[in-house]
Amino acid sequence: MTQVTLSALTKQFDQKSDPAVDRLDLQIESGKLTALLGPSGCGKTTTMKMIAGLLRPTSGDISFDGQSILSIAPEDRGAVMVFQNYLLFPYMTIAENIGFGLKMRKMDRKEIRSRVKDMLDLVQLPGFEERRPRQLSGGQQQRIALARALIVQPNVLLLDEPLSNLDAHLRDEMRELIRRIQTEMAITTVFVTHDQEEAVVLADRIALLFDGRLQQFDVPDAFFDTPKSVEIAKFFGGTNFIPGFYQDSEINTSIGRFSAPHSAVGEGDAVLSIRPEAITLGANGDNSVTGTIRSHVYVGRYARFRIEIGEVEVEAVTDPGAVKMFSDGEEIPVRFDPNKIWVISPSPDVALQDGG
Amino acid sequence: MTDLKNVSADQNTELAVPVSSAGSGRRFRLRIFGRWVGITGLLTFLIAPIVPLFIWSISFRWFYPAIFPTEYSGRAWSEVINPNNDVVGVAWNTALIALVVTIFSILLGVPAGRALGLYEFRGKRLVEWLILAPIIVPGLAVVLGIHVLFIRAGLSNTIPGVILVHLVPTLPYMTLVMSGVFANYDTDFELQARSLGAGRWATQYHITLPAIFPGVVVGALFAFIISWSQYVLTLLIGGGQVQTLPLLLFGFVRSDPAIAGALSVVFILPAVLVLLLSSRYLSGDNAAVGGIGNI
Amino acid sequence: MASRRIRIKRKALSEAAGRRLTITVLLAPAILVILLLFMGGLITGFLRSLGYFPLIGLHDFNFNAYTAILSDNGFIRSFIITFHIAFTSTLIAGILAVASAMLLRPAFRGKRFVQFIFSLNLTIPHLVGAVGVLYLFSGSGLISRLATAAGLIDTPAGFPPMVNDPWAIGIIIQYVWKEIPFIGVIVLAILLSVGEDYESVARSLGANRWQAFRNVTLPLIMPGVVSASVIVFAFTFGAFEIPWLLGTTFPKALPVLAFESYTDVDLAARPQAMAMAMVIAFMSSLMIMAYMKLSRRYVRS
Repeated sequence: MTQVTLSALTKQFDQKSDPAVDRLDLQIESGKLTALLGPSGCGKTTTMKMIAGLLRPTSGDISFDGQSILSIAPEDRGAVMVFQNYLLFPYMTIAENIGFGLKMRKMDRKEIRSRVKDMLDLVQLPGFEERRPRQLSGGQQQRIALARALIVQPNVLLLDEPLSNLDAHLRDEMRELIRRIQTEMAITTVFVTHDQEEAVVLADRIALLFDGRLQQFDVPDAFFDTPKSVEIAKFFGGTNFIPGFYQDSEINTSIGRFSAPHSAVGEGDAVLSIRPEAITLGANGDNSVTGTIRSHVYVGRYARFRIEIGEVEVEAVTDPGAVKMFSDGEEIPVRFDPNKIWVISPSPDVALQDGG
Repeated sequence: MTDLKNVSADQNTELAVPVSSAGSGRRFRLRIFGRWVGITGLLTFLIAPIVPLFIWSISFRWFYPAIFPTEYSGRAWSEVINPNNDVVGVAWNTALIALVVTIFSILLGVPAGRALGLYEFRGKRLVEWLILAPIIVPGLAVVLGIHVLFIRAGLSNTIPGVILVHLVPTLPYMTLVMSGVFANYDTDFELQARSLGAGRWATQYHITLPAIFPGVVVGALFAFIISWSQYVLTLLIGGGQVQTLPLLLFGFVRSDPAIAGALSVVFILPAVLVLLLSSRYLSGDNAAVGGIGNI
Repeated sequence: MASRRIRIKRKALSEAAGRRLTITVLLAPAILVILLLFMGGLITGFLRSLGYFPLIGLHDFNFNAYTAILSDNGFIRSFIITFHIAFTSTLIAGILAVASAMLLRPAFRGKRFVQFIFSLNLTIPHLVGAVGVLYLFSGSGLISRLATAAGLIDTPAGFPPMVNDPWAIGIIIQYVWKEIPFIGVIVLAILLSVGEDYESVARSLGANRWQAFRNVTLPLIMPGVVSASVIVFAFTFGAFEIPWLLGTTFPKALPVLAFESYTDVDLAARPQAMAMAMVIAFMSSLMIMAYMKLSRRYVRS
């Protein structure tokens, strides 16, 4: 079990361009599964490669259990990276691939063979020893790559987009496998993904990066309930943002005044955010306003409405039955659940200022 | 999953190597230093044999053990430029032969490379071996026989004969390079162009040519240089009637180092020009260069 | 239904025929040139080596030329020195070329310049290189002069013979000088297309720098190294002008021996020249086949 700490970690590939990773501070808990999430090019894979020792940071520090590991060669760090495209050595058998790390440690051949067998059992591909990488499907290659990493009993396991190259049905299987192995072996695991859903389902904690800077580091539900900025909320599927002025647990907007006990900011300019699921159609009472239904989409398990309220348009997601109750053009009351309203700062930099 | 517990039980501690007080910076700098020592050594070795050629070409007296000539002169260069000696004419002749050889190599090698790179067919292995054979079997081993044939065909001692025999070593390179290029080429681009209304030739010109151009440049560079520096094939088939720079240079190596030096410089220059024009295709990950590695 | 199926079948057939026609048209010119020149030259040479020379009334086949050269001790020694030249040059050039390619792979300042100088050698004719080596390494060459200035030797005779020497050092230096960039450029292209990720995986799994190179990078570039060194071996085994300029008078390299026999005024030496050419062709092909077979096995294991 290893705790990984990144302090002011920075990587700048050349002088002219912005840093790929910019003063990143992160405390990755030992034995947990942490996601580095962000759009492509946000610096997440760069961060991972720096942890693995495959890239030198421009500045900043990385430490395992409080000891800086920057001077330690990648092969001695015990931080093993599994690449997105698996990279099984093409001219080796599966057994040679999995046993590679142990062979490098000059372990006895018989011992290697028996551990390889254990690993193949672990990733549920027993008897694959003598096959060649190109004979395997993508999902199988992914498992072998995982086994090849796990056999060296890494202190830290680094997975680069572990699910992105897999078909939908294989993803679920792989996700469960990773989760199960990670819990059983209690390895500090960091994985990189651009898919927020993947991060939410798999991770204990998520570090969200935009443009090389940490936006928010939190448990998954926090990104839905209490995002620190409009950008973060948008990245997690938030669609409704109404600017206003926040004072005394109330936010005053162009379409009315809403009580909002949960806020990330104090008195001043602010943005009301509310997830589409927290808007109730046809409900009167406090925190409700009148709007006109502009359009709707029936998606099967739920329905999505676009509603015009004054000069803003909001999106609401309801159970599919609502389609029969309301029709386009109809004027209805719309209620914003006060407990689900989350008030955010209008400035995009605020999240960075309080240090993540 | 019982094994898993065993695996975790003997947690390997050697993985967590203690942090050494010497920073990684020093080791890193040492490696960078080593790299520069290596690169400097390499470049020195590559450039060293060229240096005396330049010095000799402008020397008048340069007796052992002087490190630099005791007297300089432009004699060698004025001999080279002197129209009576016709060095320029010979150089022009050599370039012309190399140019024609290159053009023929392209005309024959590109289609052959396309066939080998794009299609699977019966006897492909045999065709590949046949085309590679002139690379694997040294030129001298076949040129004696070719000479016999050419005497009968009236091609010996002629420029066309020399051009033909130069094709023996150049054509395999061109084909090899182009088959590497076409192996990475998607013919669907051509079909797409045809379906958008491009004719057969327009497609070749606008779609195929730009795609294979880097490969053609590399292949042509090899063909030109092989022909340009060819000695023994020209000597035998040309029979002394066809003069090229290598033949001219050879005569002066022992007898007059100054002129040999100047001729060597003349000999290097066009090739350097060709390289300057094509170097961006040669460096980087051009599939064509890797194509040679596909025997 | 039935007629439709037949029509489809005919169309498929004609498509296959069209494909075959395309392949034939594309390949025919190149194959024709190689068959006529290369195979023609090889077969003519072979017939002549067997003593078949109808123009001067020789119609009988015999192995006289072969028995003559193979029983000649000088020929055997020529073969040994030629093999030594080709093998040593290829080995040294191959190792140094891989090392150079590894040096030139990462990004560094001035890389474009270094790469230009590196590939510059590719374009410099062998003959020029040989002249350069001669003026650099001969007894009165530049290095010998530098050694004298440094007080290491007194006379050109004190300089160890490196040109026209029995160990063919000058020839090997020239070949190594010329072929490092050739193999190096090919290996570099392969290195760049393979990328550094496999190596990263290996490092991350616990391989040190050398182990990662030995176990991962080398097997990945090996096919390219083999191909390039095959070309180099064949060239150095059969090249004429470099040993002619930088070699000894005895034993001569095989190509020099063959060329001199061929241009000998005594026409009786012609079949022997042809026989030597055949031995060069045969031995070179044989050694290359053996090498490729061995190296394939190495890559697989």
